[in-house]
Amino acid sequence: MKVRSTIAALLGLLLILSTAAPLAAQEEALPRNETLYVAGMQWGPFSTFNPLSPNPTWPSNGENEYLYETLFAFNIATGNLDPLLAKELTVVDASTLEVTLQDGTAWQDGTPLTVDDVLFTYGLAQDHDDIDYVPFWSYVTEMTATGDRTIQIKLDPARLNIGLVKRYLSNVHILPQHIWTERAEGDTALSQVVDETPVGSGPYKVLDYSIERIALERNDDYWGEPIFGLPAPHYIVHPIFESNDAGNLALQRGEVDLSQQFAPQIWKMWEDDGLPVGAWFTEEPYHIPGNIPLLHINISRPGLDDPLVRRALAYSINYAQIAATAMSRYSIPVQPSLIIPSGGEEKYFDADQVAELGWEYNPEETRRILEEEVGATKGDDGIYVLPDGTRLGPYTILASFGWTDWQTAVEIAALNATEAGIEVNTEYPEAPQVIERRNVGDFDMLIWTHAGATPASPWQRFRDALDIRDVPDFGGVAYWNWNRFSHPDVADLLDQVAAATDEEMQKELYSKLDRIFLENIPVIPLMYRPLEFYEYNETYWTGFPNVNNPVAPPMHEEAGVEVLYVITPNE
Amino acid sequence: MTADLNLQKPSAGARVWATSLWHSLQSVFSPRFMFGFVLMLLLLAFGFLGPVIFNRDDPMEFVGLLYDPPSEEAWLGTDNFGHDVFTQLMYGTRTSIVIGLIAGSVATVIGILIGTVAGFQGGMVEEILMALTNIVITIPSIVILILLSIAFKTRSIVGMGVIIGVTAWPWTARAVRAQTSSLRTREHVDVARLSGTRTLSLIIWEIIPYMLSYIVMAFVLQLNSGILQEAALSMLGLGIDRGVSLGIMLQWALLWESVRTGAWWAFIPPTLFLTLIAFSLLLLQSSIDEIFNPRLRRS
Repeated sequence: MKVRSTIAALLGLLLILSTAAPLAAQEEALPRNETLYVAGMQWGPFSTFNPLSPNPTWPSNGENEYLYETLFAFNIATGNLDPLLAKELTVVDASTLEVTLQDGTAWQDGTPLTVDDVLFTYGLAQDHDDIDYVPFWSYVTEMTATGDRTIQIKLDPARLNIGLVKRYLSNVHILPQHIWTERAEGDTALSQVVDETPVGSGPYKVLDYSIERIALERNDDYWGEPIFGLPAPHYIVHPIFESNDAGNLALQRGEVDLSQQFAPQIWKMWEDDGLPVGAWFTEEPYHIPGNIPLLHINISRPGLDDPLVRRALAYSINYAQIAATAMSRYSIPVQPSLIIPSGGEEKYFDADQVAELGWEYNPEETRRILEEEVGATKGDDGIYVLPDGTRLGPYTILASFGWTDWQTAVEIAALNATEAGIEVNTEYPEAPQVIERRNVGDFDMLIWTHAGATPASPWQRFRDALDIRDVPDFGGVAYWNWNRFSHPDVADLLDQVAAATDEEMQKELYSKLDRIFLENIPVIPLMYRPLEFYEYNETYWTGFPNVNNPVAPPMHEEAGVEVLYVITPNE
Repeated sequence: MTADLNLQKPSAGARVWATSLWHSLQSVFSPRFMFGFVLMLLLLAFGFLGPVIFNRDDPMEFVGLLYDPPSEEAWLGTDNFGHDVFTQLMYGTRTSIVIGLIAGSVATVIGILIGTVAGFQGGMVEEILMALTNIVITIPSIVILILLSIAFKTRSIVGMGVIIGVTAWPWTARAVRAQTSSLRTREHVDVARLSGTRTLSLIIWEIIPYMLSYIVMAFVLQLNSGILQEAALSMLGLGIDRGVSLGIMLQWALLWESVRTGAWWAFIPPTLFLTLIAFSLLLLQSSIDEIFNPRLRRS
């Protein structure tokens, strides 16, 4: 969907066609009933299987568990950490965690996987600042082996944040020390190491790769067989598609069995075409919400600096229309809350408070707030003017070009707002431009997400939306809180909830944070989107988990590896 | 004496044009011309008068949801935003034709300017201008178009037309240069030159009228090319920032997988209208060719 990136990728593709041809020739035809075809996790040709790279090739990217594995795997359906390399996480006290490794863990070359490998992997981030889990050590003071299979983690009492540490225990791929020690001591930055012959601990090894596909072969000596069994597919192949539509067409035809792509109107495949295709839910919203695209409002702009105007704006937006078009009905109309009301965050969602202080699509309420509470008057052009003479608009919403769901969402929001008397236009620069302007606060409004569903959510989302600490003023580069919202109670509440272990206490504190959001509205949730799209075709494989058969979560990464253990060939 | 000759110059050019037109009118009403002409008139009426006739004043209004099928309210269904495709089609046709007209005009004017100056002056001027033309020809225009489109932060209808126009002039320039080289040795040009007429007047009054038929045909071709180039750029996401064109309609239909989801109303109407516009312009172009070229008319 990012057209200009695609053009650049195509030019690059042409360049490497000749050099990659011999690799393509080595591909072997794989038996269809033993091969699972997947899509949506790899775009573009192979770069490296190094999981420390900023852009590694599938399955080393994200939190995929096929090749390299993490200690725990986040499960979006339960919000829990499922066991993987580690079998248990114990909270010893408020600032101490203990991780116990599974028995018999081993690398694919037969070397045992021990606590030393775990300590080595996390320790790399202390000496190499080009690794993305460097911040782990901002919250942890010490990580030591306390036995053959146990590791103790001492948290920094000054920055207690168990949720965030749990996140790092589920998204760092453990590396083999006997292979990576030499690389760590070399001159090449670890993130730049090109790894073509990876040795992981997971249930799959790399079979071959080319510009057309990446193929994995099951590791029949997998250490986890006594615990988890072996995954059903003997092979997993990820064809490299040029675009979403090519991948979706392949899913429709049964050429792809499991997909992580945005496929508009997926239900038509089974309702209209009678195909054996499915998603997690068989009816709307089809996917589990996992993130919230937010309308970020620059609260320093005249007019938008008034929370009442922001509330009026929030009432003007037709959230149901956005869910039905921009998200292809893959989102329930969004709730005015920074907490996702399902999955692991549901327990924190304060429905009563949201009903009391929230909003919904109601242009009449926009009119009432602006005219009766703000004292604005409507001009001849249909746009309101505040008592001090400030005209409400024109404001501009930024969205990245080619991000079609977001563009569609802001088109609707802009039209709704303008019809209600707040003039709003849209602008679609390239994503890097949007990011640059977002970071320095050079926008009226823009659409972007904060943290999705993770073991650290919704803490991380509240931090991103409300916390002014470590955020430079407008003009400086901010990595969160791009509209520079500040509130005197936020920092304490965030620190308290990060350190809290009691669920009732957490719920109370999150409610207080959500109240600050509801009363000040620095961002407006526009819709939900899944953390990962989860779609399957049962022509060749059957038994895919869904809401009626919830034996594994609707994911591909993290705990999504469990899907491979429950499917069977379709005879 | 010079003044007398100068006075006669416009009338000489006009006489040639009038004579040519008189002969041409005999073929004006050929079935091919009429078909192309009426088709183009209908398309223009649809694009420019349609919104008034059908009382559709806002192509961006939401009338439904994602790919609602055709209904009484939305005759051609809705697009991915929930816009009415029929209304979008009217405004899209208008935008595409306007961009084509601007692009065609810019390309034709630049082509005539460079071609006539090169052909009339000859020598080093001709060498330089033709070298420039050949350089531009060797670079695929779509590459230049993409680079230019990316370079501009905002792309308006006029901006798009100009961007397309400035990449499309070389072929016109080459052909005009060849014709000018031939025409400049004609007797009437020599007479005008000997009478002291300035170069610009010579080109305007003694050269251009004699290749007006070619210029008209070139403009029609450039117009056609401009409309299709706009569609191609829009399909790549490099169309106008605000508003709708036939190319932008196709772009969204492609991005939102209208073919796979069976939403034929999202991609067939703009495709059909692009085809009809191109078809009518090609019919007109070939008919005009017949009008101005007696050999073709005889055959």
